Amino acid sequence: MAEISKTSVKSKGYLGALALIGVLLGLYWGLLHAPPDAYQGEVQRIMYLHIPSILTAYLSFFLVFVGSCLYLWKREKRDDILAYSAAEIGALFTALTIVEGSIWGKPTWGVWWTWDARLTLTAILLLIFAGYLMLRSLTDDENRAASAAAVLGIIGFLDIPLIHMSVYWWRTLHQPPSILRPDKAPWDNVHPAMLTALAINFVGFVLLYFYLLSRRFRLGEINEEIKARLLNRNN
Amino acid sequence: MGAWGFVFLAYGIVWCAILIYWLTLKRRLRRAETELAQLRASQESQKNVQT
Repeated sequence: MAEISKTSVKSKGYLGALALIGVLLGLYWGLLHAPPDAYQGEVQRIMYLHIPSILTAYLSFFLVFVGSCLYLWKREKRDDILAYSAAEIGALFTALTIVEGSIWGKPTWGVWWTWDARLTLTAILLLIFAGYLMLRSLTDDENRAASAAAVLGIIGFLDIPLIHMSVYWWRTLHQPPSILRPDKAPWDNVHPAMLTALAINFVGFVLLYFYLLSRRFRLGEINEEIKARLLNRNN
Repeated sequence: MGAWGFVFLAYGIVWCAILIYWLTLKRRLRRAETELAQLRASQESQKNVQT
């Protein structure tokens, strides 16, 4: 058991170190190496944060969806811990996406915020997962809270295709996607130096995400063991 | 504010927020590990007394 624990700590240490390298490389590429955009100038560098942040948030809510479905099906605590951990970090990355978009929007659109379909749906996504986290902390009956949160987690994930397609379905101020376009490959649409900066930042964000998720998951496991031991002692 | 001002504002907020979350998570984890270790130790000592 001690050996497994040591290996796990070591692998998390490696993951943390890899995430740090990825993030530093991303900062170098995004701030210093990539050229400024022909139309937007230097402000476009915010995209090297904005796009990886929202893609990481999507990944996180996909894990919430998977964890929630598995929990409702099998009722295993590990699936619930995965969903809860992913929801917490996903909410953070969604909030950061909105902040980055707002800072980019001021010099580009002339406003910090507008009730554009994509922006509004992203704000709704954040509210759903803020509700998810509040639901976990407000209810005393843990199994009921986990089940209700799992249903909310599944509903929340359904907002993501709406966010992605909103720029096609409605007339929005937000431009169509540059990377996840159905009609064009990213390399046909984005300058190679900018695409490289974006890819490095995305890898850095994903590594950082899995590092944070592994720590948050461990916290969930420990809290469960504490609750089980306290329950055992009281009985 | 100039273009670089907006860029540094965005990068500053994002990395500060992530750093604060990481430090908070680290503190929560350390506290939970300490609590679990104390609980295990007290349950072990109780078992030893009973045997």
